[in-house]
Amino acid sequence: MSTVQLAGSELPPEAYVASLAGFRNMNVHRLGALLRHHAPEEAWAVVLGQRPSDGLIGKVLEVSGVRDMWKRCAQERPPAEIWARCIALGLQVLPYGHQHYPAGLLDDPFPPPVLFAKGDLKLLAGRRVGIVGTRNATAAGREAARSLGLGLGAAGVHVISGLARGIDGYAHRGVLAAEGEGRPIGIVASGLDVVYPREHRDLWEAAGNCGLLLSEAPPGVPPEPHRFPLRNRIVAALSEVLVVVESRERGGSLITAAQAIERDVTVMAVPGSIGKRASLGTNSLLCDGAAPVTGVEDVLTALSLQNTRSAMLPADLRARPRGEDIAVYRVVHADPRTIDGVMLALGFSLVEAAMSLARLESAGWVAQADGWFECVGSPLR
Amino acid sequence: MLAAVRSATVFGVEGRPVTVEVHVSTGLPAFQIVGLPDEACRESRDRVRAAVLSSGLAWPSCRVTVNLAPSNQRKGGSGLDLAIAIGFLAAHGQVPVSQIEGLGFVGELGLDGSLRQVAGVAPMVAAMGDVRPVVPVGNYREAWCVAGGGVRVARTLREVVDALNADAPWPQLPDGEFVDDEPPLPDLADVRGQVMARQGLEVAAAGGHHMLLVGPPGSGKTMLAQRIPGLLPMLEPEVSLQATMVHSAAGVRLPAGGMVQRAPFRAPHHSSSMVALVGGGSTSLRPGEISLAHGGVLFLDELGEFAPSVLDGLRQPLEEGVIRLARARASAALPAKFLLVAATNPCPCGGGGPGDCQCDEVARLRYVRRLSGPLLDRFDLRVGVTRPGVEDLLASGGGEPTADVAARVGAARQCALDRIGMVNANIPASYLDSLAPLHQAARQLLRDQLERDQLTGRGYHRIRRVARTITDLQGGGELVLDEHVQLALSMRVRLSISSRERAA
Repeated sequence: MSTVQLAGSELPPEAYVASLAGFRNMNVHRLGALLRHHAPEEAWAVVLGQRPSDGLIGKVLEVSGVRDMWKRCAQERPPAEIWARCIALGLQVLPYGHQHYPAGLLDDPFPPPVLFAKGDLKLLAGRRVGIVGTRNATAAGREAARSLGLGLGAAGVHVISGLARGIDGYAHRGVLAAEGEGRPIGIVASGLDVVYPREHRDLWEAAGNCGLLLSEAPPGVPPEPHRFPLRNRIVAALSEVLVVVESRERGGSLITAAQAIERDVTVMAVPGSIGKRASLGTNSLLCDGAAPVTGVEDVLTALSLQNTRSAMLPADLRARPRGEDIAVYRVVHADPRTIDGVMLALGFSLVEAAMSLARLESAGWVAQADGWFECVGSPLR
Repeated sequence: MLAAVRSATVFGVEGRPVTVEVHVSTGLPAFQIVGLPDEACRESRDRVRAAVLSSGLAWPSCRVTVNLAPSNQRKGGSGLDLAIAIGFLAAHGQVPVSQIEGLGFVGELGLDGSLRQVAGVAPMVAAMGDVRPVVPVGNYREAWCVAGGGVRVARTLREVVDALNADAPWPQLPDGEFVDDEPPLPDLADVRGQVMARQGLEVAAAGGHHMLLVGPPGSGKTMLAQRIPGLLPMLEPEVSLQATMVHSAAGVRLPAGGMVQRAPFRAPHHSSSMVALVGGGSTSLRPGEISLAHGGVLFLDELGEFAPSVLDGLRQPLEEGVIRLARARASAALPAKFLLVAATNPCPCGGGGPGDCQCDEVARLRYVRRLSGPLLDRFDLRVGVTRPGVEDLLASGGGEPTADVAARVGAARQCALDRIGMVNANIPASYLDSLAPLHQAARQLLRDQLERDQLTGRGYHRIRRVARTITDLQGGGELVLDEHVQLALSMRVRLSISSRERAA
């Protein structure tokens, strides 16, 4: 304890907050109350029982076991160590009221008492759209999320999402693919050093490096189930417009939408075919009056932005098709085709069709899966 | 009081000679069989006794001991019934011992003294060596294939005894050529459209390339696969004999001619167990589906629904053309050189064209986990199959008939056999440069693919082999052209499920 006390004299107040946020049974309400009534060092002393407390925390400490547990936690999580860890990870610790604390959360009905951030906090001053949806997305939903991310990214709008599997991930992949002014903002439920889901490690790194990562949880906290709905309220609060791409009849994205409505954030939804389970939630949002999204233009209009997307898209550097390839491209562009289909449409031989499609594929105009050829990227103008 | 009769049992696809020694002596009435008989073999006591009595022969009160030599090997099945009965009758003096010299007996007895056919007669007869086999009527053809003209047949125990006692001649059956009564194979002319898939079948048959058909339900994957045996040439005599042995040992119905001459087509259901597929069993090591497909086609419909462990069991036989089964007491090597043709839906919901898929990510991942891995790597051809369009279905006149395609396939196979003595799928990688030299443009095409990371090293060699086959099919020369390589590349479609997993 003596070393901690010695180091304590040099520690910034954020170190205490960072440590307190990781206590067991320290939920958002308790931490909020604690920090409302006490300065961070004082709060630390209160938790250790070295100072009297008042309000909610006084009552909480009277609950049997809490005082002992928090004393144990205090020993396990010396502020100096936690602080060193945050520094090593390059995290900024933003208690409520900190000069860099996101302005959009200051007047929130339920603001996070502390936020951990990695990346560029200035992005929160830009235009922001939240894209959320189910983890079990269909191919159509994935493509919608990706293309919305692509269009918004190219138009310089930052995309807020939860970095979950499915829609969240594809929205951010779209933003990154646009290579425009728009950046990914990832709001996650676990500590910023606990990557979840693991296959999104590349997205975490990309968001941390060229965008922004935010979490309410201090480093080392695992992705516990109760943290996800809490994370969703931050997504809702920071978005100017929230787009739900696909959602089942009960899903986390509907919680996000409800939180957004509470905060007067515009909620939009991508329509899906009826009877498709992945669209039940979004279609019910549309019934309740959410605005439909049929393309990125709808979202840009909701942000009152000029539709300047096409001007900002990167130039098309692909070699233009020549000769018979143009006809083949037109056929595939009208509808996805198999080699057989191309043969039938143009009267080509098998080899001619295969050679032409291969040329288009290697130039990047079409892509093939399961024997079907589809156009990718912008069409011939 | 003692007699020895020659017979055999079957183990794996090989027969094992067995000498049935019967000793009849005075003493307490008893009937014992020793020499590691299995349950079916031990029950032959009751069958033999009843059959002898029903045939109007005598079974006096005496002590009968039967020894199945060599007595350290397990014997299974009911094929020894006849030999035991004849041994008893000889030992008891109802049949002269000298008459059973030079004969071998195989067959199951009914309680009424009738003789019933058993599985595995072909290998058994082969194992008995230079004896004249006596077999049930139903087994005549397969025994004839192995032993030739010396086969004796009988319908009942009484007929055998009468012939041995020279009271009556051996029953005669028509000899020589047999009419092939097999139904005609399905014809390729029935297939509408499907240009790419037809080409795939042709290449698979000509080069012995394993093929995966990818397509939604109802697109005709099974229909296409069933037409491959018609494209394959008749089996070589050696392979035909091996296939006959396997079919006989497994108790599968043989063609009327006795020999399996057409390429077999086996399509086990996806609930098949490992043992059903690769063979096994404790006493006889019965051949599995992969051995029954020897020389022909093993078709696995709904590949993704097979248990992963069962599919992994195919890997070694795919490499070696033989399956080595080992059990605590014995081991056997069964032939298993087959053309693997598998069919799968592009995803769990069946898919269809792009955008039709309704699967969620989790279900797709579960599906691909079953499909992925080293087995997918073993398919030289991955051909997409689509539902035939309206024009295809309504078009009058079918496609090219099987006979025309089979002629091209036969010529291409001969071309490959003349070159190196094996089908193109088996060309060792080190011989590819000399046997499948690439045209300049073809080399450039492959270089592009490798540089764009679309092709692995293994895939590169597979493409070259397939391209060799395509060149042979088109009657081309030594050099493999770029269009042949491109066609080979087009017959290796990317699977959306596996590529998406890599992207995620």
